[in-house]
Amino acid sequence: MASVTIDHVWKYYGKTEAVKDLNLKCADGEFLSVLGPSGCGKSSTLRMLAGLEHISAGDIRFGERRINDLPPKDRDIAMVFENYALYPHKTVRENIANSLMLRGASRATIEQKVKKATELLQIGHLLQRKPQELSGGQKQRVAIGRAIVREPQLFLFDEPIAHLDAKLRAHMRGELKIMQRELGTTMIYVTHDQLEALSMADRIAVMHEGVLQQFGTPQEIYDHPVNEWVAGFVGEPPMNFVDCLIEDRGGVLHAVHPSFAVPVTGSQEAILRDSAHRAEVRMGIRPDQIGIVTGDGGDAVAAQILLTEPLGGDMLVDAAVGQEKFLVKTKPDFQGRRGDACRLAFDTGRWHLFDRDTGLAYF
Amino acid sequence: MASSDVVRYRSPLRSLVNVLVAIFLVIYVVWTVLPLFVMFVSSFKDLLEAFKLPTVGDWSGITLFFDFTPTVKHYQSLFLDHNFSVYLFNSIVASAGSALISVVLGAMCAYSLSRINFRGKQDLFFWIISTRMAPVVAVMVPLYAIFRGAGLVGTIPGLILAYTTFNLPFAIWMLKGFFDNVPYAIEEAQMCDGATRFRAFLSILPLVAPGVGAFLVLCILFAWNDFLFASIIGSGGAKTLPVATKELVQPQNIQWGSIMAAGVVTTLPMMFLGLLIRRYLVAGLTMGAVKE
Amino acid sequence: MAVTTAGGGRGIGGGASAAAGKQHLLEMREGARVISHTPARLNTAPSRAYYFYLMLPAIIVLACITLYPFFWLVWMSLHDVDVGAAADKWNDFANWIRLGRDRKFQDGWWLLLQYSAMCMVLQIGLGVLLAVILNGSRHEKLLVTIFLMPMMMAPVVAGLVWYYLYNSTFGWYHWLMQSAGILGERSILGDPSTAMLGIVIVDTWQWTPLITLIVLAGLKRVPRDQLEANMVDGAGEIRNFFQITLPNIYPFLLIAILLRFMDNFRFIDHILVLTGGGPADSTKILPTYLFDVSFQFFKLGRGAAIALTLLAVTIVLGLILVRVFQSPTAQTRPEDS
Repeated sequence: MASVTIDHVWKYYGKTEAVKDLNLKCADGEFLSVLGPSGCGKSSTLRMLAGLEHISAGDIRFGERRINDLPPKDRDIAMVFENYALYPHKTVRENIANSLMLRGASRATIEQKVKKATELLQIGHLLQRKPQELSGGQKQRVAIGRAIVREPQLFLFDEPIAHLDAKLRAHMRGELKIMQRELGTTMIYVTHDQLEALSMADRIAVMHEGVLQQFGTPQEIYDHPVNEWVAGFVGEPPMNFVDCLIEDRGGVLHAVHPSFAVPVTGSQEAILRDSAHRAEVRMGIRPDQIGIVTGDGGDAVAAQILLTEPLGGDMLVDAAVGQEKFLVKTKPDFQGRRGDACRLAFDTGRWHLFDRDTGLAYF
Repeated sequence: MASSDVVRYRSPLRSLVNVLVAIFLVIYVVWTVLPLFVMFVSSFKDLLEAFKLPTVGDWSGITLFFDFTPTVKHYQSLFLDHNFSVYLFNSIVASAGSALISVVLGAMCAYSLSRINFRGKQDLFFWIISTRMAPVVAVMVPLYAIFRGAGLVGTIPGLILAYTTFNLPFAIWMLKGFFDNVPYAIEEAQMCDGATRFRAFLSILPLVAPGVGAFLVLCILFAWNDFLFASIIGSGGAKTLPVATKELVQPQNIQWGSIMAAGVVTTLPMMFLGLLIRRYLVAGLTMGAVKE
Repeated sequence: MAVTTAGGGRGIGGGASAAAGKQHLLEMREGARVISHTPARLNTAPSRAYYFYLMLPAIIVLACITLYPFFWLVWMSLHDVDVGAAADKWNDFANWIRLGRDRKFQDGWWLLLQYSAMCMVLQIGLGVLLAVILNGSRHEKLLVTIFLMPMMMAPVVAGLVWYYLYNSTFGWYHWLMQSAGILGERSILGDPSTAMLGIVIVDTWQWTPLITLIVLAGLKRVPRDQLEANMVDGAGEIRNFFQITLPNIYPFLLIAILLRFMDNFRFIDHILVLTGGGPADSTKILPTYLFDVSFQFFKLGRGAAIALTLLAVTIVLGLILVRVFQSPTAQTRPEDS
């Protein structure tokens, strides 16, 4: 087991910068997820950790040991690949035992460790099969078995469950988390699926265009995104954004839009006043942070229903406020119909205001 | 992602290997190019200059190779004294003729094979491909007997027909793979729009045109470079360039300059064509088993 | 794209829809050995005739120039065939019986085998080595283009150039070998013990690049993640080559071997030019012997019998080759893996 330190790491491909000045520290035994859309540099980061790409600049250390120049075989890591990368000409047993055999383990040790790993993953009955005879989920398990059998000091997972169907994916999320907790091995898990990151990781590193955006616990990332990009990327359905002006109305700061003016809370006002804020901001609020009732009048924001999408346990409502559209998540017993007037109540305690130029969050 | 991008780490062994690899590559390139180079240079050498050789072990004598006055008289004599314009014409007509017949008939056949299923299709297919694989000498024994009876020996039509024995199966086999790649939906759409079946067939031709063109060129190349058929079936009236070149080798007084010049004349057009269809070359030379 | 046969090339890529591609992949995954992908709905009666008519001309021509000669070949092998006007005479299998005690026939097969084996070992060895070096090298494109050049040359011309280079009085390669102390006074083609090697070298010069290209195409399809997984598992480069690369390019190697093997049966241009089968019949491989019997001595009946034996072996090889051709591995494109 080891901690992982990524220290001012850069990765260039020719002139393209894939990873820009990345700094991360992953504690021993931690489940760290690197989250971002494709092309954000997360895979490059993982591959540099594995030794499958050279590190263009900076250092990576496992514990105190600098591993920049170590080939993968000397790093004592195990990796699960997006496409499983099983060896098609070998049986499941040979696939799993491969790393042990390459390291010259004795026959008895191999037998015992393969048994242990396959029992954990419940694939004992597949040992004699070849990869092409396995289903996607089974291949996945074999790939994981190949990683855990060696008891490495670090697991690297590269979107390991991206190609499974939705149901199996949900199941594997739970299993992976349990497995990691049981083994206690440090794990770095790359994914573009925020649900995977939020549900499994101890901490999440959100990356975008090669730059680390935010590094924190899932709750921190969800509740306090540091900028507009993170706020928009994390959360499903995505956050609503509206351009607003901050105006002082009767001594209270309001977020003002042609269609509404909503006062900020006291603590938010303090932040805004402290931070030499600009008048032009962008307001962001998650669909479940907006209350909706049908009918006119009252002091809430007036809106019109464009579309209702019942999802069984929830109901999504598209509501128009002037020229803007808000997505609202409510209960399925909501009675509004397309075209009805309605009122929206923003949960101002949990909304966010961002600097319109830099995208950075005031709160 | 290509396997070649897999990361490599520096080590003393690695650097040593790199040096060895570089040396090997240089040697291999020289060994590949040298015969071609010698052919080219020698075609400009006068008779005696072509025979000049340093004494054994005299490495500095290697410069002797470049010690000559260039002359184009071999090229002139090929065309003035040795009738090479006729042989060139024969080569062009025979190879292009056979290529055209093969590709046109082959395209029709390949298209049909790609569009329908019937019992025995596998066997028909194997028969077609096996005719291509048959040893030329073995095929030639009966072909010679038949052609002789039909008066085709020594004529260009005879040669064209002979070349078609290997070009037609090749064209069918290769083009079928091509038509297999064209979705039938395109023809269906055409027919829905009111086109006849034949028009529908014509409408997908632009899609396969690059392949058809490439295999036409490959057929030309195979026929052009053939020697056995040309020397037996074509002997007499339909002598092609490779045969004519070979015949310049006389028991006495070999005209090496002329032979090399004839070699250049025979080789250059094919090298040009080969580079032209470079990316179909591997598929063509492996009967489509391997695609680049 | 996983079409079973032929063609391909990127040129057609645009034409093939994703749906068709998926279909092919599916067939491939299910391990079905499909010779063609034919839309089922096309097999309706009225349209079939149309396709058969399109097919007919090629089939007729092909039958005339291959099937008819084949039966003719069988006929000839059973008769005394006279080059003159006289009718062919039935000879009670004399042509076939003669093969049994024809030393040159048996030697021909043995020499053909030797020749092929030597070519194979040299060409596969060099070809694979070269492909591994070229794969991903900075100058890959340029080098491949250079290596293509010998293949475009008419084998006869190649033979003539090498004949010139080998010549014991004015050949530069002869001089080179003598100067390097490899060869004594002997001429490489004039000595029965080295003549075969001389021809093998020419064949290697001309056709090793083909093997390189085939293997190179195979190397491009070795899945990168398998190599990387094995590296993470603890393999170095050499182990990675033997454990991952080699099994993955195996079908390509097989194709290369079979193709070259059959070409050794098909073409004797090099030998005809360089030695004509001599000296002392040391390079008289079977096709060369067949050529002599048929077209030097014009014993077409005996030639036919020899030709049939050659044909039989070729067909067996061909069957194997077609099998390999249709193996899915060789048919996937680099992007698939």
